[in-house]
Amino acid sequence: MTRKKVKLAFIANDSARKATFKKRKKGLMKKVSELSTLCGIDACAIIYSPYESQPEVWPNTAGAQRVLTQFKRMPEMEQSKKMVNQEGFIRQRIAKAAEQLKKQCKDNREKEMTEVMYQCLTGRGLQNLAMADLHDLGWLVDQNLKEIHKRIDSLKKSASSQVVAPGGSSKSATSEMARNGGGQGPGAGQQEQKPVVDLGADAMQSRPQWFTDWVNNPNENMGFGGDDQMMLPFGDGHGAMWSSAFFP
Amino acid sequence: MAKKPSMGRQKIKIAKIEIKNHLQVTFSKRRSGLFKKASELCTLCGVEISIIVFSPAGKVFSFGHPNVDSIVDQFLSRNPPPNTTTRHLIDAHRNASVRDLNSQLTQILNELEAEKKRGETLDHMRKLASQRKYWWEKPIDELGLNELEQLRDSMEVLKKNVTNQTDKLFVEDKLFVEGNVNPSPFFSANGIAMVDSAEIKPYQMNASSTPPHVQNIGYGHGFF
Repeated sequence: MTRKKVKLAFIANDSARKATFKKRKKGLMKKVSELSTLCGIDACAIIYSPYESQPEVWPNTAGAQRVLTQFKRMPEMEQSKKMVNQEGFIRQRIAKAAEQLKKQCKDNREKEMTEVMYQCLTGRGLQNLAMADLHDLGWLVDQNLKEIHKRIDSLKKSASSQVVAPGGSSKSATSEMARNGGGQGPGAGQQEQKPVVDLGADAMQSRPQWFTDWVNNPNENMGFGGDDQMMLPFGDGHGAMWSSAFFP
Repeated sequence: MAKKPSMGRQKIKIAKIEIKNHLQVTFSKRRSGLFKKASELCTLCGVEISIIVFSPAGKVFSFGHPNVDSIVDQFLSRNPPPNTTTRHLIDAHRNASVRDLNSQLTQILNELEAEKKRGETLDHMRKLASQRKYWWEKPIDELGLNELEQLRDSMEVLKKNVTNQTDKLFVEDKLFVEGNVNPSPFFSANGIAMVDSAEIKPYQMNASSTPPHVQNIGYGHGFF
Protein backbone atom coordinates (compact mmCIF):
# COMPACT_ATOMS: atom_id res chain seq x y z
CA MET A 1 0.00 0.00 0.00
CA THR A 2 1.36 3.40 -0.93
CA ARG A 3 1.85 6.05 1.67
CA LYS A 4 1.41 9.04 -0.56
CA LYS A 5 -1.76 9.75 -2.43
CA VAL A 6 -1.10 9.72 -6.16
CA LYS A 7 -2.68 12.39 -8.30
CA LEU A 8 -4.98 10.96 -10.92
CA ALA A 9 -3.22 12.45 -13.95
CA PHE A 10 -0.64 11.49 -16.53
CA ILE A 11 2.78 11.17 -14.91
CA ALA A 12 5.01 13.66 -16.66
CA ASN A 13 8.29 12.35 -15.35
CA ASP A 14 9.41 9.57 -17.73
CA SER A 15 11.24 7.37 -15.28
CA ALA A 16 8.56 7.72 -12.62
CA ARG A 17 5.96 6.83 -15.19
CA LYS A 18 7.84 3.77 -16.38
CA ALA A 19 8.39 2.59 -12.79
CA THR A 20 4.71 3.10 -11.96
CA PHE A 21 3.74 1.25 -15.10
CA LYS A 22 5.84 -1.79 -14.23
CA LYS A 23 4.48 -1.97 -10.68
CA ARG A 24 0.86 -1.38 -11.50
CA LYS A 25 0.86 -3.64 -14.51
CA LYS A 26 2.14 -6.47 -12.34
CA GLY A 27 -0.50 -5.71 -9.73
CA LEU A 28 -3.25 -5.59 -12.33
CA MET A 29 -2.31 -8.97 -13.75
CA LYS A 30 -2.27 -10.40 -10.26
CA LYS A 31 -5.77 -9.06 -9.63
CA VAL A 32 -7.11 -10.57 -12.85
CA SER A 33 -5.63 -13.90 -11.92
CA GLU A 34 -7.11 -13.79 -8.40
CA LEU A 35 -10.52 -12.86 -9.73
CA SER A 36 -10.43 -15.73 -12.16
CA THR A 37 -9.42 -18.27 -9.50
CA LEU A 38 -11.62 -17.04 -6.66
CA CYS A 39 -14.76 -16.90 -8.74
CA GLY A 40 -13.99 -19.65 -11.18
CA ILE A 41 -14.53 -17.49 -14.22
CA ASP A 42 -12.83 -16.84 -17.56
CA ALA A 43 -11.04 -13.57 -18.15
CA CYS A 44 -8.31 -11.96 -20.18
CA ALA A 45 -6.30 -8.75 -20.09
CA ILE A 46 -4.37 -7.06 -22.88
CA ILE A 47 -2.00 -4.16 -22.36
CA TYR A 48 -0.33 -2.14 -25.11
CA SER A 49 2.41 0.17 -23.96
CA PRO A 50 5.18 2.25 -25.49
CA TYR A 51 7.65 0.23 -23.41
CA GLU A 52 7.09 -3.08 -25.18
CA SER A 53 6.55 -3.88 -28.83
CA GLN A 54 4.34 -6.83 -27.99
CA PRO A 55 1.26 -6.49 -25.82
CA GLU A 56 1.34 -7.91 -22.33
CA VAL A 57 -1.35 -10.56 -22.06
CA TRP A 58 -3.06 -12.55 -19.31
CA PRO A 59 -3.25 -15.46 -19.02
CA ASN A 60 -1.22 -15.95 -22.20
CA THR A 61 -1.76 -15.49 -25.93
CA ALA A 62 -3.61 -18.76 -26.41
CA GLY A 63 -5.73 -18.34 -23.31
CA ALA A 64 -6.64 -14.78 -24.27
CA GLN A 65 -7.58 -15.85 -27.76
CA ARG A 66 -9.89 -18.47 -26.33
CA VAL A 67 -11.65 -15.94 -24.15
CA LEU A 68 -11.90 -13.45 -26.98
CA THR A 69 -13.41 -16.03 -29.32
CA GLN A 70 -15.96 -16.81 -26.63
CA PHE A 71 -16.59 -13.07 -26.31
CA LYS A 72 -16.99 -12.48 -30.01
CA ARG A 73 -19.39 -15.39 -30.30
CA MET A 74 -21.88 -13.59 -28.06
CA PRO A 75 -24.58 -11.42 -29.63
CA GLU A 76 -23.56 -7.79 -30.13
CA MET A 77 -26.04 -6.62 -27.56
CA GLU A 78 -24.68 -8.91 -24.89
CA GLN A 79 -21.16 -7.78 -25.62
CA SER A 80 -21.94 -4.09 -25.35
CA LYS A 81 -24.36 -4.25 -22.43
CA LYS A 82 -21.65 -4.17 -19.81
CA MET A 83 -18.96 -2.67 -22.00
CA VAL A 84 -17.36 0.49 -20.82
CA ASN A 85 -14.51 2.77 -21.81
CA GLN A 86 -12.55 5.31 -19.79
CA GLU A 87 -15.04 8.11 -20.15
CA GLY A 88 -18.03 5.97 -19.31
CA PHE A 89 -16.27 4.34 -16.42
CA ILE A 90 -15.13 7.58 -14.85
CA ARG A 91 -18.62 8.99 -15.24
CA GLN A 92 -19.93 5.97 -13.34
CA ARG A 93 -17.41 6.59 -10.57
CA ILE A 94 -18.40 10.24 -10.38
CA ALA A 95 -22.07 9.33 -10.11
CA LYS A 96 -21.39 6.82 -7.35
CA ALA A 97 -19.22 9.28 -5.42
CA ALA A 98 -21.92 11.94 -5.77
CA GLU A 99 -24.46 9.55 -4.24
CA GLN A 100 -22.17 8.77 -1.34
CA LEU A 101 -21.47 12.45 -0.82
CA LYS A 102 -25.16 13.25 -0.71
CA LYS A 103 -25.78 10.56 1.87
CA GLN A 104 -22.80 11.60 3.96
CA CYS A 105 -23.95 15.21 3.97
CA LYS A 106 -27.41 14.13 5.05
CA ASP A 107 -26.00 12.02 7.87
CA ASN A 108 -23.74 14.84 8.99
CA ARG A 109 -26.62 17.27 8.94
CA GLU A 110 -28.64 14.94 11.14
CA LYS A 111 -25.73 14.64 13.56
CA GLU A 112 -25.37 18.42 13.69
CA MET A 113 -29.03 18.90 14.30
CA THR A 114 -28.99 16.30 17.06
CA GLU A 115 -26.44 18.42 18.89
CA VAL A 116 -28.59 21.50 18.39
CA MET A 117 -31.64 19.64 19.61
CA TYR A 118 -29.99 18.53 22.83
CA GLN A 119 -28.72 22.01 23.41
CA CYS A 120 -32.19 23.43 22.90
CA LEU A 121 -33.52 20.95 25.41
CA THR A 122 -31.21 22.45 27.99
CA GLY A 123 -32.06 26.01 27.28
CA ARG A 124 -30.33 27.27 24.22
CA GLY A 125 -32.48 29.72 22.36
CA LEU A 126 -33.84 29.36 18.88
CA GLN A 127 -33.28 32.95 17.85
CA ASN A 128 -30.04 32.38 15.98
CA LEU A 129 -31.25 29.54 13.85
CA ALA A 130 -32.10 30.07 10.24
CA MET A 131 -35.22 28.80 8.55
CA ALA A 132 -33.46 25.80 7.13
CA ASP A 133 -32.09 24.88 10.55
CA LEU A 134 -35.50 25.26 12.17
CA HIS A 135 -37.04 23.14 9.48
CA ASP A 136 -34.53 20.35 9.97
CA LEU A 137 -34.70 20.65 13.74
CA GLY A 138 -38.47 20.32 13.61
CA TRP A 139 -38.14 17.23 11.47
CA LEU A 140 -35.66 15.70 13.86
CA VAL A 141 -37.83 16.42 16.88
CA ASP A 142 -40.73 14.76 15.09
CA GLN A 143 -38.65 11.70 14.35
CA ASN A 144 -37.64 11.45 17.97
CA LEU A 145 -41.20 11.93 19.16
CA LYS A 146 -42.32 9.11 16.88
CA GLU A 147 -39.78 6.80 18.43
CA ILE A 148 -40.62 7.89 21.94
CA HIS A 149 -44.33 7.34 21.40
CA LYS A 150 -43.67 3.93 19.96
CA ARG A 151 -41.50 2.97 22.89
CA ILE A 152 -43.98 4.30 25.43
CA ASP A 153 -46.77 2.33 23.80
CA SER A 154 -44.77 -0.85 23.75
CA LEU A 155 -43.78 -0.45 27.40
CA LYS A 156 -47.33 0.25 28.42
CA LYS A 157 -48.51 -2.77 26.51
CA SER A 158 -46.04 -5.09 28.15
CA ALA A 159 -46.70 -3.60 31.58
CA SER A 160 -50.47 -4.00 31.31
CA SER A 161 -50.17 -7.58 30.24
CA GLN A 162 -48.43 -8.47 33.51
CA VAL A 163 -49.96 -9.59 36.79
CA VAL A 164 -51.17 -6.68 38.89
CA ALA A 165 -49.74 -6.71 42.43
CA PRO A 166 -52.09 -5.91 45.27
CA GLY A 167 -51.49 -2.73 47.22
CA GLY A 168 -49.96 -0.96 44.33
CA SER A 169 -52.29 1.96 44.64
CA SER A 170 -51.18 2.98 48.07
CA LYS A 171 -47.76 4.10 46.99
CA SER A 172 -46.89 7.75 47.12
CA ALA A 173 -46.28 9.76 44.01
CA THR A 174 -42.62 10.08 44.78
CA SER A 175 -41.75 6.44 45.14
CA GLU A 176 -43.86 5.55 42.13
CA MET A 177 -41.71 7.85 40.09
CA ALA A 178 -38.54 6.65 41.64
CA ARG A 179 -39.22 3.09 40.72
CA ASN A 180 -40.18 3.94 37.23
CA GLY A 181 -37.38 6.38 36.69
CA GLY A 182 -34.77 3.72 37.15
CA GLY A 183 -35.78 1.91 34.03
CA GLN A 184 -38.37 -0.71 33.45
CA GLY A 185 -36.63 -3.74 34.94
CA PRO A 186 -38.55 -6.98 34.93
CA GLY A 187 -41.65 -5.05 35.97
CA ALA A 188 -42.54 -7.78 38.39
CA GLY A 189 -45.73 -6.94 40.20
CA GLN A 190 -45.79 -3.37 39.00
CA GLN A 191 -49.04 -2.03 37.90
CA GLU A 192 -49.01 0.18 34.89
CA GLN A 193 -48.01 3.59 36.12
CA LYS A 194 -49.80 6.64 34.97
CA PRO A 195 -47.70 9.76 34.81
CA VAL A 196 -47.98 11.39 38.20
CA VAL A 197 -49.20 14.67 36.84
CA ASP A 198 -51.52 15.28 34.00
CA LEU A 199 -49.55 17.71 31.92
CA GLY A 200 -52.13 19.63 30.04
CA ALA A 201 -51.62 22.19 27.37
CA ASP A 202 -50.82 24.75 30.03
CA ALA A 203 -47.71 22.96 31.08
CA MET A 204 -45.72 25.98 30.15
CA GLN A 205 -47.45 28.35 32.46
CA SER A 206 -47.93 26.36 35.65
CA ARG A 207 -45.35 24.52 37.62
CA PRO A 208 -46.19 20.84 37.30
CA GLN A 209 -46.38 18.74 40.45
CA TRP A 210 -43.87 16.20 39.26
CA PHE A 211 -41.30 18.91 38.93
CA THR A 212 -41.44 19.65 42.64
CA ASP A 213 -41.32 15.97 43.42
CA TRP A 214 -38.37 15.57 41.16
CA VAL A 215 -36.52 18.47 42.68
CA ASN A 216 -37.07 16.98 46.11
CA ASN A 217 -35.80 13.59 45.08
CA PRO A 218 -32.86 14.28 42.87
CA ASN A 219 -31.02 11.01 43.11
CA GLU A 220 -33.88 8.60 42.81
CA ASN A 221 -34.90 9.62 39.43
CA MET A 222 -31.63 9.63 37.66
CA GLY A 223 -31.19 6.82 35.24
CA PHE A 224 -27.58 6.49 36.25
CA GLY A 225 -24.94 8.14 38.39
CA GLY A 226 -26.68 10.55 40.75
CA ASP A 227 -23.56 12.59 41.34
CA ASP A 228 -23.82 14.56 38.12
CA GLN A 229 -25.24 17.97 37.92
CA MET A 230 -28.94 17.65 37.82
CA MET A 231 -29.99 18.99 34.51
CA LEU A 232 -33.53 18.85 33.32
CA PRO A 233 -34.67 18.73 29.80
CA PHE A 234 -36.04 21.98 28.62
CA GLY A 235 -34.53 24.37 31.10
CA ASP A 236 -35.27 28.04 31.01
CA GLY A 237 -33.99 29.23 27.74
CA HIS A 238 -36.94 31.32 26.96
CA GLY A 239 -37.56 32.97 30.25
CA ALA A 240 -41.25 32.54 29.92
CA MET A 241 -41.35 28.90 30.84
CA TRP A 242 -39.68 27.54 33.89
CA SER A 243 -38.62 29.74 36.68
CA SER A 244 -34.89 29.73 37.26
CA ALA A 245 -35.46 28.80 40.86
CA PHE A 246 -35.42 25.19 39.75
CA PHE A 247 -31.78 25.23 38.94
CA PRO A 248 -29.54 24.82 41.96
CA MET B 1 -27.45 5.63 12.49
CA ALA B 2 -24.01 4.08 13.10
CA LYS B 3 -22.70 1.66 10.49
CA LYS B 4 -21.96 -1.80 11.68
CA PRO B 5 -18.19 -2.22 11.68
CA SER B 6 -17.17 -4.48 8.81
CA MET B 7 -14.67 -7.26 9.13
CA GLY B 8 -11.88 -5.17 7.68
CA ARG B 9 -9.19 -6.56 5.45
CA GLN B 10 -8.95 -10.30 5.77
CA LYS B 11 -6.35 -12.48 4.17
CA ILE B 12 -8.04 -15.09 2.02
CA LYS B 13 -6.93 -18.20 0.28
CA ILE B 14 -6.72 -17.93 -3.49
CA ALA B 15 -8.97 -20.81 -4.38
CA LYS B 16 -12.47 -21.01 -5.70
CA ILE B 17 -14.91 -19.67 -3.13
CA GLU B 18 -17.25 -22.33 -1.79
CA ILE B 19 -20.26 -20.28 -0.75
CA LYS B 20 -22.19 -19.07 -3.77
CA ASN B 21 -23.29 -15.85 -2.19
CA HIS B 22 -19.76 -14.93 -1.15
CA LEU B 23 -18.56 -15.78 -4.62
CA GLN B 24 -21.05 -13.43 -6.22
CA VAL B 25 -20.28 -10.60 -3.85
CA THR B 26 -16.56 -11.11 -4.34
CA PHE B 27 -16.96 -11.10 -8.07
CA SER B 28 -18.91 -7.88 -8.03
CA LYS B 29 -16.48 -6.06 -5.77
CA ARG B 30 -13.30 -7.34 -7.35
CA ARG B 31 -14.45 -6.76 -10.88
CA SER B 32 -15.21 -3.18 -9.98
CA GLY B 33 -11.83 -2.79 -8.31
CA LEU B 34 -10.09 -4.37 -11.26
CA PHE B 35 -11.62 -1.89 -13.71
CA LYS B 36 -10.71 0.92 -11.37
CA LYS B 37 -7.07 -0.17 -11.35
CA ALA B 38 -7.09 -0.51 -15.11
CA SER B 39 -8.59 2.94 -15.50
CA GLU B 40 -5.94 4.42 -13.22
CA LEU B 41 -3.15 2.68 -15.10
CA CYS B 42 -4.41 4.17 -18.37
CA THR B 43 -4.56 7.64 -16.91
CA LEU B 44 -1.26 7.55 -15.06
CA CYS B 45 0.84 5.91 -17.73
CA GLY B 46 -1.02 6.64 -20.93
CA VAL B 47 -1.29 3.01 -22.02
CA GLU B 48 -4.04 1.14 -23.83
CA ILE B 49 -5.79 -1.67 -22.04
CA SER B 50 -8.65 -4.06 -22.54
CA ILE B 51 -10.03 -6.41 -19.93
CA ILE B 52 -12.75 -8.95 -20.52
CA VAL B 53 -14.39 -10.82 -17.65
CA PHE B 54 -17.17 -13.39 -17.60
CA SER B 55 -19.45 -13.31 -14.59
CA PRO B 56 -20.46 -16.44 -12.66
CA ALA B 57 -23.86 -16.05 -14.30
CA GLY B 58 -22.39 -15.96 -17.76
CA LYS B 59 -22.71 -12.27 -18.50
CA VAL B 60 -19.67 -10.50 -19.88
CA PHE B 61 -18.13 -7.32 -18.47
CA SER B 62 -15.48 -5.45 -20.42
CA PHE B 63 -13.35 -2.39 -19.97
CA GLY B 64 -11.27 -0.83 -22.71
CA HIS B 65 -9.23 2.25 -23.36
CA PRO B 66 -9.57 3.77 -25.92
CA ASN B 67 -12.30 1.14 -26.40
CA VAL B 68 -12.65 -2.61 -26.13
CA ASP B 69 -13.21 -3.41 -29.79
CA SER B 70 -10.21 -1.56 -31.19
CA ILE B 71 -7.85 -3.28 -28.75
CA VAL B 72 -9.40 -6.69 -29.30
CA ASP B 73 -9.26 -6.33 -33.08
CA GLN B 74 -5.71 -5.12 -32.93
CA PHE B 75 -4.76 -8.11 -30.83
CA LEU B 76 -6.56 -10.70 -32.89
CA SER B 77 -5.43 -9.40 -36.23
CA ARG B 78 -1.94 -8.65 -35.05
CA ASN B 79 -1.99 -5.53 -37.15
CA PRO B 80 -0.80 -2.27 -35.72
CA PRO B 81 -3.54 0.39 -35.47
CA PRO B 82 -3.89 2.90 -38.31
CA ASN B 83 -1.71 5.90 -37.64
CA THR B 84 -3.82 8.53 -39.34
CA THR B 85 -4.33 12.18 -38.55
CA THR B 86 -8.01 11.53 -37.89
CA ARG B 87 -7.11 8.97 -35.31
CA HIS B 88 -4.77 11.41 -33.63
CA LEU B 89 -7.48 14.01 -33.51
CA ILE B 90 -9.95 11.58 -32.05
CA ASP B 91 -7.40 10.44 -29.50
CA ALA B 92 -6.53 13.99 -28.50
CA HIS B 93 -10.18 14.88 -28.10
CA ARG B 94 -10.85 11.79 -26.04
CA ASN B 95 -7.84 12.34 -23.83
CA ALA B 96 -8.91 15.90 -23.14
CA SER B 97 -12.34 14.83 -22.02
CA VAL B 98 -10.87 12.03 -19.91
CA ARG B 99 -8.62 14.60 -18.25
CA ASP B 100 -11.63 16.74 -17.40
CA LEU B 101 -13.55 13.80 -16.02
CA ASN B 102 -10.63 12.73 -13.91
CA SER B 103 -10.32 16.16 -12.33
CA GLN B 104 -14.06 16.18 -11.68
CA LEU B 105 -13.72 12.78 -10.05
CA THR B 106 -10.78 13.90 -7.95
CA GLN B 107 -12.70 16.92 -6.78
CA ILE B 108 -15.75 15.00 -5.71
CA LEU B 109 -13.67 12.34 -3.99
CA ASN B 110 -11.95 15.08 -2.00
CA GLU B 111 -15.30 16.52 -1.00
CA LEU B 112 -16.45 13.08 0.05
CA GLU B 113 -13.38 12.57 2.17
CA ALA B 114 -13.87 15.96 3.82
CA GLU B 115 -17.46 15.15 4.68
CA LYS B 116 -16.43 11.77 6.07
CA LYS B 117 -13.93 13.50 8.34
CA ARG B 118 -16.60 15.93 9.43
CA GLY B 119 -18.82 12.99 10.27
CA GLU B 120 -16.10 11.50 12.43
CA THR B 121 -15.64 14.79 14.23
CA LEU B 122 -19.35 14.99 14.92
CA ASP B 123 -19.39 11.41 16.17
CA HIS B 124 -16.53 12.17 18.50
CA MET B 125 -18.34 15.23 19.79
CA ARG B 126 -21.45 13.22 20.46
CA LYS B 127 -19.40 10.62 22.29
CA LEU B 128 -17.90 13.30 24.55
CA ALA B 129 -21.27 14.90 25.09
CA SER B 130 -22.95 11.67 26.07
CA GLN B 131 -20.27 11.12 28.70
CA ARG B 132 -21.68 14.12 30.53
CA LYS B 133 -24.54 11.81 31.38
CA TYR B 134 -27.73 13.71 30.84
CA TRP B 135 -30.22 10.92 31.07
CA TRP B 136 -32.27 12.20 28.18
CA GLU B 137 -29.38 11.81 25.81
CA LYS B 138 -29.32 8.07 26.32
CA PRO B 139 -30.77 5.89 23.61
CA ILE B 140 -34.54 5.77 23.83
CA ASP B 141 -34.49 2.04 24.47
CA GLU B 142 -32.63 2.59 27.71
CA LEU B 143 -35.11 5.00 29.22
CA GLY B 144 -37.76 4.14 31.72
CA LEU B 145 -41.42 4.88 31.14
CA ASN B 146 -41.49 7.93 33.32
CA GLU B 147 -38.35 9.33 31.75
CA LEU B 148 -39.80 8.74 28.33
CA GLU B 149 -42.94 10.63 29.19
CA GLN B 150 -40.96 13.55 30.54
CA LEU B 151 -38.79 13.58 27.49
CA ARG B 152 -41.80 13.40 25.27
CA ASP B 153 -43.31 16.40 26.97
CA SER B 154 -40.11 18.38 26.66
CA MET B 155 -39.85 17.49 23.01
CA GLU B 156 -43.44 18.58 22.42
CA VAL B 157 -42.63 21.91 23.97
CA LEU B 158 -39.55 22.25 21.81
CA LYS B 159 -41.57 21.41 18.77
CA LYS B 160 -44.05 24.15 19.59
CA ASN B 161 -41.26 26.63 20.06
CA VAL B 162 -39.71 25.70 16.75
CA THR B 163 -43.02 26.22 15.01
CA ASN B 164 -43.49 29.56 16.71
CA GLN B 165 -40.02 30.69 15.81
CA THR B 166 -40.52 29.60 12.23
CA ASP B 167 -43.72 31.58 11.98
CA LYS B 168 -42.03 34.55 13.58
CA LEU B 169 -39.23 34.54 11.04
CA PHE B 170 -41.66 34.13 8.23
CA VAL B 171 -43.58 37.19 9.30
CA GLU B 172 -40.40 39.18 9.81
CA ASP B 173 -39.29 38.43 6.30
CA LYS B 174 -42.56 39.54 4.90
CA LEU B 175 -42.30 42.78 6.85
CA PHE B 176 -38.74 43.22 5.69
CA VAL B 177 -39.67 42.84 2.08
CA GLU B 178 -42.58 45.20 2.45
CA GLY B 179 -41.34 47.75 4.90
CA ASN B 180 -37.64 47.75 5.64
CA VAL B 181 -37.75 46.02 8.99
CA ASN B 182 -34.51 44.29 10.08
CA PRO B 183 -33.98 41.18 8.04
CA SER B 184 -34.18 37.88 9.85
CA PRO B 185 -31.42 35.29 9.73
CA PHE B 186 -33.47 33.62 7.01
CA PHE B 187 -31.80 35.51 4.23
CA SER B 188 -28.37 35.95 5.66
CA ALA B 189 -28.10 32.25 6.37
CA ASN B 190 -28.83 31.42 2.79
CA GLY B 191 -26.08 33.66 1.65
CA ILE B 192 -28.30 36.01 -0.28
CA ALA B 193 -26.85 39.45 0.18
CA MET B 194 -29.44 41.72 1.67
CA VAL B 195 -29.46 45.39 2.29
CA ASP B 196 -27.64 46.72 5.33
CA SER B 197 -25.64 43.74 6.45
CA ALA B 198 -24.63 45.63 9.58
CA GLU B 199 -28.06 44.85 10.96
CA ILE B 200 -27.64 41.15 10.49
CA LYS B 201 -26.24 39.57 13.60
CA PRO B 202 -23.58 36.95 13.03
CA TYR B 203 -24.72 33.48 13.92
CA GLN B 204 -23.82 32.83 17.52
CA MET B 205 -23.71 29.94 19.82
CA ASN B 206 -25.14 30.44 23.26
CA ALA B 207 -24.49 26.96 24.49
CA SER B 208 -22.27 26.73 27.53
CA SER B 209 -20.75 23.48 26.45
CA THR B 210 -18.55 22.89 23.45
CA PRO B 211 -20.57 24.13 20.53
CA PRO B 212 -20.73 22.16 17.35
CA HIS B 213 -20.21 23.90 14.06
CA VAL B 214 -23.77 24.26 13.01
CA GLN B 215 -23.19 25.94 9.74
CA ASN B 216 -26.03 27.82 8.21
CA ILE B 217 -25.48 26.20 4.93
CA GLY B 218 -28.31 27.29 2.76
CA TYR B 219 -29.97 24.01 2.12
CA GLY B 220 -32.94 25.89 0.90
CA HIS B 221 -36.01 24.26 2.27
CA GLY B 222 -34.14 22.15 4.76
CA PHE B 223 -32.23 18.98 4.30
CA PHE B 224 -34.73 16.32 5.16
